[in-house]
Amino acid sequence: MSSLFQSEQMTLCQLFLQSEAAYACVSELGELGLVQFRDLNPDVNAFQRKFVNEVRRCDEMERKLRYLEKEIKKDEIPMLDTGENPDAPQPREMIDLEATFEKLENELREVNQNAEALKRNYLDLTELRHILRKTQVFFDEMGVVTPTSVDSPREDETMGLLEHEHRSSTALQTNKLGFVAGVILRERLPGFERMLWRACRGNVFLRQAEIESPLEDPATGDQVFKTVFIIFFQGDQLKSRVKKICEGFRATLYPCPETPAERREMAIGVMTRIEDLNTVLSQTQDHRHRVLQAAAKNIKTWFIKVRKIKAIYHTLNLFNLDVTQKCLIAEAWVPVTDLENIQIALRRGTERSGSSVPPIINRMESLEEPPTFNRLNKFTRGFQNLVDAYGIASYREVNPAPYTCITFPFLFAVMFGDAGHALIMLAFAAWMVIKENSLIQKNIKSEIWTIFFGGRYILLLMGLFSFYTGIVYNDVFSKSLNIFGSSWNVNISTHVVHEEKNVMLDPVTCFEDHPYPIGVDPVWQVADNKIAFLNAYKMKISIIIGVIHMLFGVSLSLWNHVYFKRPLNIICEFIPQLIFLLFLFMYLNVLVFHKWVWYYAKGGLAAGPHCAPSILITFINMVLFKAGELPDRDCPSAYMFAGQEILQKIFVVVGLLCVPWMLFIKPFVLKSQHGKQMKAHSPLNNVESTDVENGRPNGGHAGQGGHGGHGEEFDFGEIFIHQAIHTIEYVLGSVSHTASYLRLWALSLAHAQLSEVLWSMVMRMGLQQSSYVGSVFLFAIFAFWAVLTVSILVLMEGLSAFLHTLRLHW
Amino acid sequence: MKGAMFNIDNGYLEGLCRGFKTGILTQNDYLNLVQCETIEDLKLHLAGTDYGNFLANEPSPISVSTLDDKLREKVVAEFVHMRCHAVEPLSTFLDFITYSYMIDNIVLLITGALHQRPLQELLPKCHPLGSFEQMEAIHIATTPAELYNAVLVDTPLAPFFVDCISEADLDEMNVELIRNTLYKAYLEAFYDFCTQKLGGETAEVMCEILAFEADRRALIITINSFDTELTKEDRARLFPKCGKLYPDGLAALARADDYEQVRSVAEYYAEYQALFAGAGNNPEEKTLEDRFFEYEVKLNVNAFLRQFHYGVFYAYLKLKEQECRNIVWIAECVAQRHRAKIDNYIPIL
Repeated sequence: MSSLFQSEQMTLCQLFLQSEAAYACVSELGELGLVQFRDLNPDVNAFQRKFVNEVRRCDEMERKLRYLEKEIKKDEIPMLDTGENPDAPQPREMIDLEATFEKLENELREVNQNAEALKRNYLDLTELRHILRKTQVFFDEMGVVTPTSVDSPREDETMGLLEHEHRSSTALQTNKLGFVAGVILRERLPGFERMLWRACRGNVFLRQAEIESPLEDPATGDQVFKTVFIIFFQGDQLKSRVKKICEGFRATLYPCPETPAERREMAIGVMTRIEDLNTVLSQTQDHRHRVLQAAAKNIKTWFIKVRKIKAIYHTLNLFNLDVTQKCLIAEAWVPVTDLENIQIALRRGTERSGSSVPPIINRMESLEEPPTFNRLNKFTRGFQNLVDAYGIASYREVNPAPYTCITFPFLFAVMFGDAGHALIMLAFAAWMVIKENSLIQKNIKSEIWTIFFGGRYILLLMGLFSFYTGIVYNDVFSKSLNIFGSSWNVNISTHVVHEEKNVMLDPVTCFEDHPYPIGVDPVWQVADNKIAFLNAYKMKISIIIGVIHMLFGVSLSLWNHVYFKRPLNIICEFIPQLIFLLFLFMYLNVLVFHKWVWYYAKGGLAAGPHCAPSILITFINMVLFKAGELPDRDCPSAYMFAGQEILQKIFVVVGLLCVPWMLFIKPFVLKSQHGKQMKAHSPLNNVESTDVENGRPNGGHAGQGGHGGHGEEFDFGEIFIHQAIHTIEYVLGSVSHTASYLRLWALSLAHAQLSEVLWSMVMRMGLQQSSYVGSVFLFAIFAFWAVLTVSILVLMEGLSAFLHTLRLHW
Repeated sequence: MKGAMFNIDNGYLEGLCRGFKTGILTQNDYLNLVQCETIEDLKLHLAGTDYGNFLANEPSPISVSTLDDKLREKVVAEFVHMRCHAVEPLSTFLDFITYSYMIDNIVLLITGALHQRPLQELLPKCHPLGSFEQMEAIHIATTPAELYNAVLVDTPLAPFFVDCISEADLDEMNVELIRNTLYKAYLEAFYDFCTQKLGGETAEVMCEILAFEADRRALIITINSFDTELTKEDRARLFPKCGKLYPDGLAALARADDYEQVRSVAEYYAEYQALFAGAGNNPEEKTLEDRFFEYEVKLNVNAFLRQFHYGVFYAYLKLKEQECRNIVWIAECVAQRHRAKIDNYIPIL
C-alpha cells in the first residue's frame, strides 16, 4: 500500500551470473521488467564490448527482416499480427533463425532478380512493339512524302530542311536515308531534341510519338511514361554521333527492319514472345507471392524475437566480466519487495540454461540516489503520467498521483460543470473502458486516439465529476432542471407580469425559507442577475477550493520532511509556510463562510443584506492595514464580527513574519551545523590519511562512505540564494496561485455562457418556428446544434479545461 | 529588424542548417573511430552519431566505396532538401554552390572519354549535386567549341565557359586548362554575386571564404605548373582574381619559378605565411594541402559564429564534405590495415 503514496523502496543488487546462464537469466528478468541495470563499463566503446558480435548478428537479422517486410508491403500482403509475445529464443535458436532468414532472403533476391530480368525483357519487347506500331505511321508518311518532293501539305520546317538536304544529295538513293528508332523517357525528350539539333547542325530529322500507357521500370518498379522516336540521317559520321547522343540520354535503341513486310513479320514475332513472357512472368510473381505469404505469417513474431535477443545482448554488454571469466557481474536497482520474484526468475533462468551453479544476488549498500519506481496499474497510469509530465519525484518522495486521481477530475469538473456535456464525455469514456480489451487489440496508431485511450480513466472520472458539478450548477446544456420545485414563490398577479417586463422577486417575501435540495435553484435560470449571482458564488467557491488544495499540497510536504527526518525543514519551512497560508488565505475562506452563514435577507440590521461587506475589499484593506469602510450608513460596523480588526492585524503581521523566518533561519542553522561538523571531523580525517600513509589498504566501502559524506563543498552563498529563491517563489506563488484558481470561476463561467449562447442563437431559432416547416427546420437546426455542442463545447472546452486543470495541479 | 526580415524567408533553413551542423562529428567521435578494428566497428560507432542507421540496410561486409556513397548520399539529401525549400536569392546562392560540382563532373567525364572509359563506369563517380541533363552526352564533343555549342550552352555554366572556347583539341592539358579557367570564372562570378547581389553579412563571410579559395587555387596552380609545358602567361591567366593575393601577389606568383619563390610570395600575407611555415613533405609534417584544408575548416567553422547570412549553407556543405573525406580516410586506413597515417584526418572543431 505504501507504494501508492511513495515510490518503491529500491536497493542496489549485485548479481553474479554464470556465463552460460547469464543469457537465460537476463531474458527472464527482461520478461519481468522490474530491474534496472547499471552500466558497469561506461568508458568502453560500443564496439569493444563483449557481446558486440552478437549484437551485430542481430542487426544483420533485422536488416533481412526489414527487407522481407519491405517486399511484403510492396505486394500488399497482410501481415499477421497475433499480438502474442514469444519468449526470447535461446542462443542456439538464433543460429536457426539466422539460417531461416538467410534462406528466405536469398530465395527472395533470386526471385526478384529473375523477375527483374524477365520484366526487363518484357519492357524491351513492349517497347519494340510500340516502335513497330508507331514507326509504321512515319514510314507511311515518308513513303508519301519523299517521292513527291516538296509540295506535301504535311511538311513542316524540319521536313523542309530534310527535303532540301535530300534533294541536294541527288536522287541517287532516294529512300536510302539511314535511321535509328528507339524509346526515351518523355521528360528527357526536349533536351534530347535540342541536343540533336545542335550537335548535328540540323541535319537530322526526328519524329516522335508518345506511348500512351505507362511502362514499368524494372529496376525501381515505378511507372514511367516514354516516347517513341525515330531519327533519319545521312552518312555514317552522323550515325555514330546520333548513337552517342542516344546513349547519353539513356535512350534505348531497337533494330527496326526497313521493309514493311519484315516489320510486320517482326511485329508478329514480338507479339508471340510477349505472350510467352507474360505466362512466365505471372508464374514468377506467383512464386514470389507464395514465398512472401509464408514469411508474412511469422514476420511480426520474428521481429519481436530478434529484438529481444538484441536487447538481451545489449544488457549483457553492461555487465562486468569476472576475473576468472566464469561469471558475469551485474549491478542493478531492484525494488525491495520484488527481490523474491527476481530470485525466482533467476532460478528459472538457470534451470532453463541447464547450469548447475545458482546465481548469487547480493544486496549492496550505496550512497547513490536510487531511481524512482512507481508501481502502476491501468487506472493510475494515466494520472501518474500527468504528474510525471511536471516532474518525477525523487526517490521515496511522496507521490502525488493518488491524490491527483481525485483532485484532477474534480478541478476539471468545476470548470466543466454541465451535466449534459458531462454525460457525453462519460459515455465516450465508459465505452472505451468497457471495450478496453478489444480496443487494445485493434492497436490503433493514430496519435489523437492514443492520447484519448491512454487517458480513458481520467476521462471517465472527469465525466463523472462534471456530471455532479453540472447538477450542482443545475446546468444541462445550459438549461436548468426543476426537479424538486423551486423554493421561490412568485406571488405576483398575472397582469403585473404581463405589463411589466422586469419583475423583482424580493427574497423576504418570495423565498420559502428552505433551500432547493441540491444545487442552484432553477429560478435563477430566468433571472436577469443570474450572472452576477453565479459570479459571486463561483468565484468564492474557486478560492475556497484553491486554498484547500494548496494547504493539502503543503501538508504533503510535511510527510516528505518527516520521512526523510529533516526537522529543520519542518520548523523552518513547513510551519511558516502553513502559517502564512492559514493566516492570510484560509482566513479569507473563513470570511467567505461567515458571510454566507451570517447574512441573509431577513437578518435584521447587523446581518441584513445591506450591511454585508465585500470580502475582496475587506481582504485588501486587511493587508494594507486600512480601516474598513461602512458598506451602508445604517450599519453598525464595517466588520463582520467583534475583534476582527485586531485579529486581522495580528494575522497579517504574523503572516509577514513568516517570510524572514523562511528566508534566514535555515541557511544560518545549516552553517552553524556545518561548522560543528567540520570541527568534529577534522581529527577523523587526519586519522584516515595516516592510515593511508601507513600503507593499510582502506576498505573500498569505508573509503566511499568517507568521501560521500564530506566530499561536498559547503557553499553558504549558494544555499542562501537557493533558500531566497525558494521563499520568494513560495510567497509570490501562494498569492498568484490563489489568483490563478480564479480561473476555475472564469472558465466555468465561460463554459456556461458559451453553451447558453449556442442555445439561444442556434437552437432557439429552430424552436421559434410555428408552422410544419418549422419541424423540418428544427431537424436541421438540431443537427447543427448537436455538432457544435460536441465539437466546441465538449471537445474544445474540455481540452481547455483539461489544460487549465493541469496548470493548476502544477 | 534585419534578422526578422531574414527569418521570414530563411529562418527555417538557417535553423535547419545549424541543426545539421551540430551533428558533425566531434573530436571525441574521431578518437573512437580511430580505434576501430574493422569497418563493421566503424559502422557501429557511426550508428551512435547523427548518421544513425544510414548503413543499416547494407549487407555486410561493407566496402569503403559503399560507405563513401552512403555518406555522400546523406549530405546530398540534406542539401537537396534545403535547396527545395529555398527561395530567391538563397536558391541562386545554393545553385552557385552546385556549379563547382558541375565543373568537376564535366572535367571527369571528358577525361574519362579521352581515356576511352565507358560511360557507365564514369557516371557513378560524378557528384550527384553537379549532375545535369546534358551531362551524359558530353563525350560527343571533340573540341571545346563543340562542347560549348552542343552541351554547355544550355547549362548555367555557359557564361563561365566563354573564355575557353578555342579550336584546339581536347587533350589532357587542355582539359586541365578548361577546368581551371572554368573555376576561375566561377569563383569570380560567385564572388561578384555575393558582394553585389547579396551584400551584408553574407558578403563579408563569403568573401573571406571565397578569397581563400581563390588564393589556394592560385598557389596550387603555380606549384603544380612547375616542370610542365604551361607557359607563364597561360598560368597567369588561370589565377582567379578575387583573392587577397590580387593583384600584387598574383603578379609575383606569375613570375615564380620554384617552390621557394611561391613561399616567399606567401610570406607577405600573414595567414598564408603560417600555412607554409608548418608544411612539408616529411612524415611528421603535414602537407601543404592538409594545411590548406585545416585553414578552410577554420574559416567555415567561423562562418557559424555570425547570424543571418547565407554563408552557413556553404560552410556546412564544405564541412560535411571534409567530414566525409575524414571518415573515408579512416575507413581506408582501417580496411588496408595501414594505421600509421590514420591520424592524418582534418579535425573539425
